[in-house]
Amino acid sequence: MNLSLNEIEATAKRATRGAGYSWGQAEEAGKATRWLCAQGLDGAGILARLLALGFATDPANHRPQQLDGRWRAEGDLCPLSVGPLLSDTARLLDAGAIEMQPVVAPALLLPFVSNAARIQKCALQIEFDSVQAVTDGARLYSPDDFPDKAQRVTIKKGAKLDMPREHQSRAHPTPTDWDALNQFAHHTYAPATEESRLLGAGAGLSDND
Amino acid sequence: MEKQAQTQIERRNPATVMRLSRLGSFHQCRLSFMRQLTRRMAREDWSFSRPVFDIDDAGVGTAVYTAQGPERAYSLVAFAHDLPPEKRSDRVIADAWDATFALFDGIPTEADIERLSKNVPLQEAGRVSETELSLSRANRSVRLWNHVVDSLASGQQPDLSQIHQVGYLMRTTAVYGSGKFGAADREKVADRPETQAPFQVEMLSVYLTRTFVRDLVQHMAAVKGGDQAAKLDPDVARWLGIGNSTGLGMAPFIVNHPVLFNNWVMVREEALARVRSVETASTAEINKFQELFQRSQLSISWWRSEHPIQVKKLADLNADLRAISEYLTTDRLANPHPWDRLIRWSETALTEEGQEYLASLVLEPYEDLVDGLASCMADSRSEAFVIDGTMSIRNVRALIQETHGWALGLDWTAPENCARAWYVSEEKLEPRMGERFEEPIENYEQPLAPARDACAAYSALSDWEGAQTVAEFLLRHPEHRHTIRRAQVARTAPYGEIRDNTISDKVLPIDMLRAKLSFFGATHFDPRSDRWVRICMYAGAPYPEELTSENADLWVYPQATA
Repeated sequence: MNLSLNEIEATAKRATRGAGYSWGQAEEAGKATRWLCAQGLDGAGILARLLALGFATDPANHRPQQLDGRWRAEGDLCPLSVGPLLSDTARLLDAGAIEMQPVVAPALLLPFVSNAARIQKCALQIEFDSVQAVTDGARLYSPDDFPDKAQRVTIKKGAKLDMPREHQSRAHPTPTDWDALNQFAHHTYAPATEESRLLGAGAGLSDND
Repeated sequence: MEKQAQTQIERRNPATVMRLSRLGSFHQCRLSFMRQLTRRMAREDWSFSRPVFDIDDAGVGTAVYTAQGPERAYSLVAFAHDLPPEKRSDRVIADAWDATFALFDGIPTEADIERLSKNVPLQEAGRVSETELSLSRANRSVRLWNHVVDSLASGQQPDLSQIHQVGYLMRTTAVYGSGKFGAADREKVADRPETQAPFQVEMLSVYLTRTFVRDLVQHMAAVKGGDQAAKLDPDVARWLGIGNSTGLGMAPFIVNHPVLFNNWVMVREEALARVRSVETASTAEINKFQELFQRSQLSISWWRSEHPIQVKKLADLNADLRAISEYLTTDRLANPHPWDRLIRWSETALTEEGQEYLASLVLEPYEDLVDGLASCMADSRSEAFVIDGTMSIRNVRALIQETHGWALGLDWTAPENCARAWYVSEEKLEPRMGERFEEPIENYEQPLAPARDACAAYSALSDWEGAQTVAEFLLRHPEHRHTIRRAQVARTAPYGEIRDNTISDKVLPIDMLRAKLSFFGATHFDPRSDRWVRICMYAGAPYPEELTSENADLWVYPQATA
């Protein structure tokens, strides 16, 4: 498939909302998925696999209980909770590394680390178990593939960004992942009724004039 | 004397400007996107050509119009269709149109045209690619189309009064840009000088569409009338604009793009503040204003609507025009700060229609104070989206108070205050608005009631210590994340938030549509219901072969012909 990044963002946002996340998280999931695709990573597939886990039905179980020390939850951490939190608390990196465990779909943290890098005005290093990535906000150094789950994630300052990935202007999700996102997005659409068809858009007048 | 952009007069308060009834009274001005485009094309001496016009006797076929700028070319690829009347609908749920278009980035090859011919006529059901910048379609005004074809075919010129009453031969029913249906993202063109300002791609597409429609009607008249067909008089053709028929999709747009919408409104307010700060007006400036005041009244005299709301607003505007005439016979703009005096007077003497008409018109004599602001109308600050988690609860509460203080006392459970809900229908994803308490739509509600959501967040925040941080709050309350973001955006985008209830039983979505369309440069707003509006674009504008620096800007103000 060959999609614009705007299509990716719009569908990712709707899909995330359709999967039960808040509108604010859905907005950020849309931008995050777009950012990953712009880096040539499989943003749509990563998001689709996360949404399939159904974490939004039990959000308190998948977000940190406290900000002191290592971030952890009763269940696996959701990147759509810890990612925004990481962006919101970027200043904590002044005091040292942020650590969390375990995180599913950890690649979705990268766009939020990029927000933190912009706020900190420096490159940040992120370690998923044995995999490493570096971002300075706009650019990313990383491998092509990421684990579905990282037992331990560490984000810290003091990185140097070499060999950034080439930016992409289009996204190429697999049809399966794209369908999965659209099925989640479909939950946000109201079933058509004859009444809404006639009244909801305010037409009903002839356009043959 | 060189003018300085000194503003002793402040911008108008967002609490005044951003009320729905005022937004629904906005008029075009010299910052409008259509006028920015025509000024640029004339200044840069763009050239235009029609490399393809392959339309058969039934009016079916393909045409290409190319606009060549200093560095790049853009081409409208147009497909003309033979549409049965029962298929003619302006709504999103339509699946066939009189004509369909794509704006191609560059000059298309035959293979490009072949590819587009298989997709563009399908609109939403087709796919375009990164070489296309917009996708659009148009339907005929049946009565004016028939009148013009029949007149020309019988060797006559069409009746000008009928042209003025309708304003256009075709109206676009959607112009999709920015990556929709596979087209190029905005980022592809955002750094080009000619497309840096908002909606320049879409405005160019519509400008070229107007030329295509003129050529198509001439072609059909020639088919029908043969040798006796008349050639459409350029002085008649100029009054043919392009219509646009717009439903609810535009209303979510201005709510969902608060920084962008802020930039449009704030730039116009800054322009107004600059002009109001002018100490004395020169004779030339006064004469320019007087001339355009006269010319604009001719355009307003052609403005027709049958909708009761607009009928009343037009009566108000016409009464306001008479009051302005009287004011100008006594004041003559010779006193210090003449424009500020005029605006202050308008706030006491005119309806919002008249006040906003004047707020746009006084900008006209001041190209040097106003036009440079156009470069500030795009949204290039993606960082505004990122929440500042270090902000204290105390401060974010103050921000909500600042923007939504008017709403904090409303009972948001009262049916009249939340009677409506905005949703997206699964039927071609048409944006709609319905009755919350009468239809099964609440579960599908879109976040288009920022004031209600702000009040909910404000209430939740009251349980927290003032010194705690937004980050801690949002960790526990992700449901308020979009609202906290908007509250923080408003620090630098004070005109980004509508200061009114967008889900009340009295909300008129057409107010939101008009606000957006006024920045395009639209005229003759004609609501078809409380949530649907038709407008006219480019009526009076020079066609590509006529475009010069002399006529590129003020075409929106018609000159009476002798």
